[in-house]
Amino acid sequence: MSQDNISELSQEAALPPSEKVVQWALAAMAQQQWALAAERWAVLRQAYPELPAVWIQAGACCRHLEQWETSQFFLETAVERFPDNPYALLELATLEQARDRPVRAGQLLELARQRFPNQLPVLLKSADHALDQSDDTVALAYNSEARKKYSADVTPWVQYANIAMRQQQWSVALERWSEVRQRFPQHPAGYNRAAEAASQLGDDRKARQLLLAREYGQEWLESFEKPEEDLQILDNKISPPTRRHWLAFIDLVWTKARLNLKSEANQNHLRYLWWIIDPMLYMAVFYLVFGLLLHRGGGGDFIVFLLTGLVPFQWFAKTVQQSSNSIVAGQGLMHQVRISPLFFPLVGVLQNTGKQLPVFALLLGFLTLYGLPPNIYWLAFIPIVLLQFFLMAIASCFVAMLVPFVRDLSNLIPTGIQFILFCSGVFYSPDTIPEQWHSLFFANPMANILYQYRRVLMDHQWPDWSGMGWVLLGCLLAGVLLLWFYKRVEGILPRVVV
Amino acid sequence: MSAIQLDVSPASPIIKQKGEAIISLQNVGVRYKQRGGLFQKSQYYQALKDLNLEIYRGETLGVVGRNGAGKSTLLKLIAGIIKPDSGSITNHGVTVSLLALGAGFESELSGVDNAILGGMLLGYRRAQIEARLEDIREFAELGDFMDQPVKTYSTGMRSRLGFAVAMYMTPDVLLLDEVLSVGDQHFRKKAEAEMMKKLHSDQTVLLVSHSEDQIKRVCDRKIAL
Repeated sequence: MSQDNISELSQEAALPPSEKVVQWALAAMAQQQWALAAERWAVLRQAYPELPAVWIQAGACCRHLEQWETSQFFLETAVERFPDNPYALLELATLEQARDRPVRAGQLLELARQRFPNQLPVLLKSADHALDQSDDTVALAYNSEARKKYSADVTPWVQYANIAMRQQQWSVALERWSEVRQRFPQHPAGYNRAAEAASQLGDDRKARQLLLAREYGQEWLESFEKPEEDLQILDNKISPPTRRHWLAFIDLVWTKARLNLKSEANQNHLRYLWWIIDPMLYMAVFYLVFGLLLHRGGGGDFIVFLLTGLVPFQWFAKTVQQSSNSIVAGQGLMHQVRISPLFFPLVGVLQNTGKQLPVFALLLGFLTLYGLPPNIYWLAFIPIVLLQFFLMAIASCFVAMLVPFVRDLSNLIPTGIQFILFCSGVFYSPDTIPEQWHSLFFANPMANILYQYRRVLMDHQWPDWSGMGWVLLGCLLAGVLLLWFYKRVEGILPRVVV
Repeated sequence: MSAIQLDVSPASPIIKQKGEAIISLQNVGVRYKQRGGLFQKSQYYQALKDLNLEIYRGETLGVVGRNGAGKSTLLKLIAGIIKPDSGSITNHGVTVSLLALGAGFESELSGVDNAILGGMLLGYRRAQIEARLEDIREFAELGDFMDQPVKTYSTGMRSRLGFAVAMYMTPDVLLLDEVLSVGDQHFRKKAEAEMMKKLHSDQTVLLVSHSEDQIKRVCDRKIAL
């Protein structure tokens, strides 16, 4: 079938639009299958002889296949047929360059510049050619012209940076790529090629940064580059100390205990009211049983005696019981942050103390109603409470530390607390104990402390300061030992409680 | 017990020594007791054995390894949370923090309370975290939820809050254990971008990740446990 026949055919039957069909051939070129692409262009040339691409691109394919003569034929035809198309001339110049005929290529580009003055592809190609000829000044001149005239187009800017890359001026190239990113933040070359330049400079970190910036955007990258912003970031950053200051530790225990109470209260409808209701009910039960039903030991006195012992003891019992398992319960946190295990029992102690304060207030109110009004000796109530607090902290920390190592201990704790309850004279007066056992009885610090409470609240006397002094001394010694022990097990406990 | 080989290799072709070693591990071994007691012979799982490692100032070191290879144990060792059974760890005077998301969160408490508590547990002082509450609210995109109990939060909201609290931490050495995968896609991107800033500032970072690809993208050096 001759070419004329095909032309006629194309006029008769409506052909699909040329923009679509050229994709067919361009696809092969994109895969660098030059022979296949050349075939496809040949087919298209039959149907669309008036399309510049079928000639020019065919020429390009033949150049890649090193079919110089054929390529030249196609391109010269294109130059002749499409005098208004600059690409024909440019492709021809490329062919001459490929055939190692730079002079001829230069002449063709000169012609292109005359025919198509100041057109972008011509300027770019001229710059490339000059660069090939190692004429950097001329190349830069053409490129600068292109950037000036077509500043909204990315290609001259990319070429500008690529020129520096070819000259192996990596830091210059980095600056130029930065400009590409500024102007065209979406263009991948601004990141990828800049990363190449950075790794040529040996700055791998910068290279990785640039590659990542493609994902996170130019703004992200700029946050490293702007020194003033850096300062602002530094200002906003916090460098934690290797070890917490003890004041910070106490603040943390305080905050945690306070928030635990809040959290506990939030779980109920009546919230904080329960801290009053619970001890009131508790006291009411004892009043009912011992005050009214049993009517024991002169009535009123025994109920006062019982409550002044039981209320402080309950505080002790609840605190030790709750704290005993606190380190085991805190294992999750211990594996996440570096924190002294002392934190866990101390929070328990403080938390229970918070709940105890309204109970004490109720107890004092009850005493007043019962005919034991406030008096000067109540002042001593405060040091006694503080001493008991100290004693409970020591006892809780001691038990809490033992339990992770010997888990079975936690089964013994309720019994142990019962034992102390009976040994501390909650239900009986020390006077009822034979004289020779007195020193042994008061060796139990809880018995000692309960005795002091009663002296102050019932007997209207100052407490036995020397007895309290001994308890304090014992607590101090135990406290020092415990601190030393806790320091030793700090790095071991998290592994014991897994 | 598996033999643990330490393969220290550069993640990128050009190895560069970044300043002096700031933490050194010598022949470090850690084992966990699996069972045993008074009447039974103890059995142990050897999580790490004879590990030698130097961490240099300013580098980003990736830690890879299969499950149970001891990656998290290594971070806990370096953070000072646990002590090794054998060998020694020398810290040449730097601060180290393991970035824990949502450590110590209480579901009954509000976002604000949890931010304060969580921040203080991580090592902030109370005033430092209180000064940043607004930034945290904004970064975590929690709005009014910040004043609601955390139990009403979705999982994503919880981790957003956790990340926002932790992101101001700049110890000399930052330890990251799989933290770059929090929240929904939008927030993960934001969190990752923020974290990458740390990776690329002059901070020293140890990063544990299951993703070899991620390690390759962001780390100067990697070790395989």
